[in-house]
Amino acid sequence: MNRSQLEHILKLHHREAYIWARQCCQFDDELAKDMLQQSYLKILEGKAKLKDATKVKTWLFSIIRYTCIDSLRKGNRLQALGEKDDFIEPEKDTEELNFEAILSQLPTMQREVITSVFYHQMTIAESAEILQISLGTARTHYERGKKKLKELILKSQILEYHGK
Amino acid sequence: MENDQLIKDFFSEMKKQDQNLPIPEFPETKVSTFNWWFPMGIAASLLVGGLLWYQQEPAKEAPNEVIIISLQENENQQQTLIIEEKAYIDVWESSTSSLLTEF
Repeated sequence: MNRSQLEHILKLHHREAYIWARQCCQFDDELAKDMLQQSYLKILEGKAKLKDATKVKTWLFSIIRYTCIDSLRKGNRLQALGEKDDFIEPEKDTEELNFEAILSQLPTMQREVITSVFYHQMTIAESAEILQISLGTARTHYERGKKKLKELILKSQILEYHGK
Repeated sequence: MENDQLIKDFFSEMKKQDQNLPIPEFPETKVSTFNWWFPMGIAASLLVGGLLWYQQEPAKEAPNEVIIISLQENENQQQTLIIEEKAYIDVWESSTSSLLTEF
């Protein structure tokens, strides 16, 4: 696949790629822009090669995710995977449903599986490919993530109700 | 399924909110391609320079490795041995050539 074909693919997925980069970079806009550019460079310079043309989206998302992880690790901003399993109290002054704040309370792997499935319409298997984990592990993160997210949503809705 | 609906609604609302998210333009990515003209130019210059230097170098004189011993008569009709050191021989005559001519 030549450079112009790759550029065409990247342009087609640019919006979703940026949103995914943002979700992987803890909703930091500037960092997401940098990470997206670095990911594109990796692809256009041939450092990351597309083996299966039918899996463009999972391939692109995987590159973006690992670029973000590397950057966050360098800046010591990434919590160790699975470390954030304890429930964190949502901010009490939240007046409206803050999606990013709620999602940020999920452990990293759970958040990424849940986001890729529910936001980006991927299957759990595709999510497992992006995260480079087994399907069984992805399913576990998916189930736990759903349970935890539901609790967080309900809690924030109660807070919102009482706030009014 | 009820749980899923709650989550689906959550993400549906989130997507609606993200419609207003400013998406940056597709970045102009400049792939760093190595320009081979520079090393090729340097290599060609070195080659030409080396050839010129090699051609301009004066040829070294051969060392005086040949010793010529000749028997010559001097002014007083006396025979003396003359020893010369040279790099080459003008004429060489085999010491046994007289056998071919005289017999």
